[in-house]
Amino acid sequence: MTTPLWKRVIGRILQAILALVFIAPLVWVIVSSFSPQPGSAQTDGWGVNNYVTLFNYQAGLPAYLFNSVVISLITIVLSVVICTMAGYSFSRFEYPGRDLGFMVTLSILMVPYASLLIPLMVWYSQIGLNNTLVGIGLVITLFQLPMSTFIMRNAFDAIPRELEEAAMVDGCNSLQALIRVLVPVVKPSMVTVGLLAFLEAWNNFMIPLYLAGSDNTPLPLAMVNMRQQTMGVIDYGATEAGVVVLMIPAAILFLALQKYYVKGFTAGAVKG
Amino acid sequence: MTSVSKQPSTGQMRKSKAKADATRRGLLYALPDWVMIVALFFVPIVLLVVMACSRWSLMGGNRGWNFPENFIEVFSHPLLGQSILFTLEYTVIVTIFLLVLGLGLALIVQESSKWNNVLRTCFLLPSATGLASASLLFYALYSPQVGPVTKILSFFGLMEDGGSVLATGQSALWATIIVIVWRFSGYYMLLMMIGLQSIPGELYEAARMDGASTWRIFRSITLPLMKPTIVMCLVYCVTGSILAFDQFFILTKGGPNNATMTVVELIYNFAFDSKKDLGMAAALSLLVLVALVIINSIQMRGMRDNTK
Amino acid sequence: MVSFNKVTRTLAGIAAAALLVPLAACGGNGGGSTASADIPAEGTDDGTEITLWTRSPLERQAQAVVEAYNASHENQVKLEIIPNDDMEGRVGGASQTDSLPDILAGDVVRIPYWASEGIFADITEQIDGLDNLDDIQQGHIEAGTVDGAKHTLPFITDVSVWVWNKDLYEQAGLDPEQGPTDIESFTEQAKAVAALDKDGVAGSYLAGQSGGALVFKLFPSVWADGETVMNEDGTEATLTNDSFKAVLDSYRELANTDNGLGAGSKEETGATWTAPFANGNIGVMPYPNTSLNDIFDAEASGGFEVGVTPIAGTSGNTSTFLGGDAMGISKDCKNVAQAWNFLHWLMQSDTQAEVFAANGYTASNIETLKTAYEDADPRIQTINSTIIDGNGQTPKSSAFNEAFNAAGSPYQLLIQNYVWGSGDSLEADNQAITDVLAQ
Repeated sequence: MTTPLWKRVIGRILQAILALVFIAPLVWVIVSSFSPQPGSAQTDGWGVNNYVTLFNYQAGLPAYLFNSVVISLITIVLSVVICTMAGYSFSRFEYPGRDLGFMVTLSILMVPYASLLIPLMVWYSQIGLNNTLVGIGLVITLFQLPMSTFIMRNAFDAIPRELEEAAMVDGCNSLQALIRVLVPVVKPSMVTVGLLAFLEAWNNFMIPLYLAGSDNTPLPLAMVNMRQQTMGVIDYGATEAGVVVLMIPAAILFLALQKYYVKGFTAGAVKG
Repeated sequence: MTSVSKQPSTGQMRKSKAKADATRRGLLYALPDWVMIVALFFVPIVLLVVMACSRWSLMGGNRGWNFPENFIEVFSHPLLGQSILFTLEYTVIVTIFLLVLGLGLALIVQESSKWNNVLRTCFLLPSATGLASASLLFYALYSPQVGPVTKILSFFGLMEDGGSVLATGQSALWATIIVIVWRFSGYYMLLMMIGLQSIPGELYEAARMDGASTWRIFRSITLPLMKPTIVMCLVYCVTGSILAFDQFFILTKGGPNNATMTVVELIYNFAFDSKKDLGMAAALSLLVLVALVIINSIQMRGMRDNTK
Repeated sequence: MVSFNKVTRTLAGIAAAALLVPLAACGGNGGGSTASADIPAEGTDDGTEITLWTRSPLERQAQAVVEAYNASHENQVKLEIIPNDDMEGRVGGASQTDSLPDILAGDVVRIPYWASEGIFADITEQIDGLDNLDDIQQGHIEAGTVDGAKHTLPFITDVSVWVWNKDLYEQAGLDPEQGPTDIESFTEQAKAVAALDKDGVAGSYLAGQSGGALVFKLFPSVWADGETVMNEDGTEATLTNDSFKAVLDSYRELANTDNGLGAGSKEETGATWTAPFANGNIGVMPYPNTSLNDIFDAEASGGFEVGVTPIAGTSGNTSTFLGGDAMGISKDCKNVAQAWNFLHWLMQSDTQAEVFAANGYTASNIETLKTAYEDADPRIQTINSTIIDGNGQTPKSSAFNEAFNAAGSPYQLLIQNYVWGSGDSLEADNQAITDVLAQ
């Protein structure tokens, strides 16, 4: 049943080409952000002028990065805590309204956030959350709930009940059992949830577009704004530099945590 | 909270006490989730319904009830039918591509080896970029000024020199689909891979013993057993595509000549561009919401039938 | 960054808000409210931070204005540039959440709608109190006038003129010093450049997907002939007149000529519509004067030479589109007196001369336009003459954005159908615009 060598070689070559197709745009954008291009800050020779333009754009790159980091942190912490607790609840306790809670959480997936943002704008100004980083983080968290709660519930489902029952017998209450015994086991899924939350919060631009004022603008929104800074000329160089700056942290974290990511998904889907 | 437990009948006191306890704890752990849902999901939805039935302009605010005027205006808008058709066309194409590619890639990298791990990483890496940055990236790639796409296509005589692939409705549609396929294939590959791994290896071995061909194994074992995963991917993909916004917002803004106007783009357009009417935007949002609930419950039924 | 400074600012904000509550309470709805009679004629200059929004096309001029103000005042203006396409959404969102900037400058064609929706504070008293009111470009004041209440003043004036590339004219055997004088010569000259058959070079250029650029470029020819684009109230489109047909025929002819219209004209969304000419690839086209400064700079450092002349109609009379940004004090402004200080300062002839004339930008004050440009480039004087002669117009309709500017607007479809399409649906397309205007 072994495949002949030539077939495998051709297969490998085709696979390599396919992989290159996926990687090529990323390589291209990194290379061209440093390369000379007409209509950008980097017209002669190679260099970092596009990044200088980016750095000095309006409030400055550090301010936008700061906003992005704060929004990401808020989203990560909230998503991990809320979804772990909710997943625990939906997996481990039998009570009326449990399935309802789970279904309602999942139903968030069905709602376009473009349409929720309109009432949210009005609602936020009523409760004083308009134009705040916390407010933005909360909305991004909301849209993380369905997928992440799903992952966490399945992660808890995959753990044999005996594990926590043993802990309970040892005198732990359910919270202690959760923190001491279960959390270490579902950690890969929690890392997945955190990573998903980070990727979403770091990259989202629609939600800040409506809910953030100029002093709370995160990086992706600033990039989309910068693209058409001057009518008639698009500074593609600075746009490319912006894409690279946005991409690098996400890619690094993603590569570093890839194992967790896949593992978390696997644990999440055992009982898919 | 409504911790309604059954009346304790004799001899079941302990059991029902444990039950009440479970209810209390269960609700407590789910509380943050519920708070989020009530405050940021239920309230806005109620507000959405109110807005859909009110004269509510973007800058002027609420000016009282006007049901069903917003709905009539939405239905009589010339772009509505066109945008629904376009959204469906886009959804069908994207869903087919992503599911087929996702499954195909998953089959390629399914077995764990060094080489496959490298491939997996390559396919997954685009998923780490945001939809906004992916769109911006391709916006640059497609631009006739700096991007290679125009040069390559015009070298092969497939398009005019200095033209843009975003220039006509059809090519803009495909250009956007490429962005989405590039960005999401890895993600669906991952979901499919997990489905594949849950298929017991013995089944394959048994089939091979019986001398079944690869194609036969795929058709008779892989596909049927993958159905729950495929349906799950289908639900995600259809929902995501019907709600397509970011990519079109950045790449085409619904143009050229409204040819790539999706329904959610139209909501944005009603709210912030042409009409500046939040009432109309809310009315259309509500219709989209109802449509999605119906579509998804049909799909979910497919999933449930199978898992029985 | 978050530290003490922010705390004090928040406290100051709360204090200011507390002071404003009684003010807002007596204001009433619609047509703006917060303006009070207590504003000194010249406003207050006490070191307050004032926020200002304007559109990205005018970034260069806006920066110059703000720098000049900040250098000479205690108040500090914080400028934010908003992408042209996002302006409506951003203003709408901010007005929903009561977070509009103190001073809001926006495309003058969008101002009537904003003013009628109550985005701006009523500053009739202050505007009427200006000593040189009559010298100020009136189109930007009228745009923000609702039922006699004035809300806006000109921030930056942007007009459209015909520009031509003298280098390309010379190669095409045309007189490089003689630009077009009417639609016919415009078409001829564009075709002559097209006939060069040079790689990437075209006769003219159109922004086929940008309603905003298309009104800016094409309407002046109609006005030059004494025709109209809308009826008086802005409720009916009148684009079936012969003048506009002549303009459309000219572009249709160019579209059917090899290299007549630059590649991408049909698809241009307005994001890059000034670039092909700036890169030296277009023979002749209508152009915004605010974008010419960059070309003049490039010319000084060895770029191609550019000619400027007013836009004409079929008869040879000229006109222009009085565009740009008008500014007003927003309904959410917490420092009305300080904001007025900025508006008042900018309206002074000295300021206009210092900020605009000295930099080669176009002023919004007729007196300044007449007197402060003696040493300026004659082409800048040509630009100014289009404002001074009073032939320029600003279209006014509260549904203007939806009918003309918005992406995919009926006006955009009219142009697409006539220039690149069958060309026989003008009546129906005009009616489609009217349908929007009339609502």
